[in-house]
Amino acid sequence: MEALLQYLLTGLSAGAIYSMIALGFYVMWSAAKAVNFTFGDVFMLGGVLTVVLREMGLPLPMAAAAAILIAALSGAVIERVFVRPFNREANAIGWMLTTIAVGTMMESFTTATYGPLGRAMPTPLVEQPVRIGGAGIYLQELLLPVVLVAMTLALEAFYRRTVLGRAMRAVAYNRVAAGLVGIDADRITMLAFALAGGIGALAGFLVAPIVQASSSMGVVVGLKGFLVAIIAGIANAPGVVITGLMYGVLEKFVEAYLSTAARDAIGFTVMILVLLLYPQGIFGRREVQKV
Amino acid sequence: MSTILSVSGLRVSYGRIEAVRGVDLSVGTGEFVGIIGSNGAGKTSMLRAVTGVVRPAAGSVTFDGADATGLKSHQMVARGLAMVPEGRMVFADQSVRDNLVLGAYSRIASDPRGVEEDIEKTLGMFPRLRERIGQQAGTLSGGEQQMLAIARGLLSRPRLLIIDELSLGLAPKILDMLFPVLTELNRQGLSILLVEQMASYALAVTHRTYVMENGRVLFDGPSAELAGDDRVLDAYLGRRTRH
Repeated sequence: MEALLQYLLTGLSAGAIYSMIALGFYVMWSAAKAVNFTFGDVFMLGGVLTVVLREMGLPLPMAAAAAILIAALSGAVIERVFVRPFNREANAIGWMLTTIAVGTMMESFTTATYGPLGRAMPTPLVEQPVRIGGAGIYLQELLLPVVLVAMTLALEAFYRRTVLGRAMRAVAYNRVAAGLVGIDADRITMLAFALAGGIGALAGFLVAPIVQASSSMGVVVGLKGFLVAIIAGIANAPGVVITGLMYGVLEKFVEAYLSTAARDAIGFTVMILVLLLYPQGIFGRREVQKV
Repeated sequence: MSTILSVSGLRVSYGRIEAVRGVDLSVGTGEFVGIIGSNGAGKTSMLRAVTGVVRPAAGSVTFDGADATGLKSHQMVARGLAMVPEGRMVFADQSVRDNLVLGAYSRIASDPRGVEEDIEKTLGMFPRLRERIGQQAGTLSGGEQQMLAIARGLLSRPRLLIIDELSLGLAPKILDMLFPVLTELNRQGLSILLVEQMASYALAVTHRTYVMENGRVLFDGPSAELAGDDRVLDAYLGRRTRH
């Protein structure tokens, strides 16, 4: 029983990270019908830049805020330089190549300058594990699902209550119609990528105290976040969040009852099977035909 | 009469297919102009180039005395041109009110109070929309969506309103309600360019009409005259008798 609770809690914690990454993919996909495959590296920037800025003497909250801001800016730049010019035609896929290439470069550059090893980011929340019904877990880990819920609600409020959010949904729904009411769809798309960059970096910052901030911390997590978005149905935010959490829990149970080595093999197999059963994603609706 | 929109030598191509092959037309300030022509005549393509949805392959667009060739849609809206697109294109997943707010996107930050007043005004024009104000736009009937699309277009406070296929898929009863609204808007000073396959309606409400076929303007003239023109009667008003 204690073990079950342990796996559930750490699973929700890991899953929250996948959900946040997947939410970033959701935000980008909605606006551009394209995503930024450097996203795992934008996530990495959130952790690594916070560590670097902190070593330069900034207090933690300021270092984190600056790292998130820089990551958001880099999201906008990546959209403008590496996605937009390669996403002009319907069904263009050039942006896949460019963003994967740039992601690799970001990782290499970080390895070369920051070093190949992870560095710790001590926070008060990882000093001592807390006990919940016999399960031991760091507060930092418990923080992740809490932030995820807050992030999801905030995103929902942004999309529904603000003019900018409504404009983003309008662009997602129909770019031509958005342009005809005076919305600069290109600018909105760039802002969406910046928003996603901020989300990814926040996730990277939050997880760094648990996993250490390293140049390669985003590679597998970025991929899993993308897969989560796809099997959830990338156009559905709540679905993406739930799927991420479920995937995190699934992973912990596989780790516990089989082995860490089996985790990704089984996890990816499950994803493929789900995709076979639900080609539109578990929570995906068939895209409305627009004439 | 000054000119709000003038188009000259406009060409639009999609790959190797030329949809518009050199169109000249103009809309005077305060004028209500129609374009009729059969399906595939190039009417919608011409509008797409004028409103910045596609770039024209050649030719020029002048709006309100300034060159506007190749501007993007949102820039045209900022200059004072709004389009109600074919198929209405309301934001189906957002409420009627949010659609209206988005219609005012270009000025909501600088003039929120004016936007609220204008929303009230358009709701007065279309009481049906007031009843459905909180409803998702996708759940509205076709006629209601067309009302919403017109209202949304008006909220940018345009000086020229372009309407593409007002009648598409709508019952005559709805059209009998919508066309007088356009006439009233025009009487209040709004310039309107109406593209319409239902020639009888277009000729009845507009001052002047262009007839387009095969990507070109065949001829134009006062609508009242064209309504009695043999070429128009035969091709667009369904007169069966040959002579």
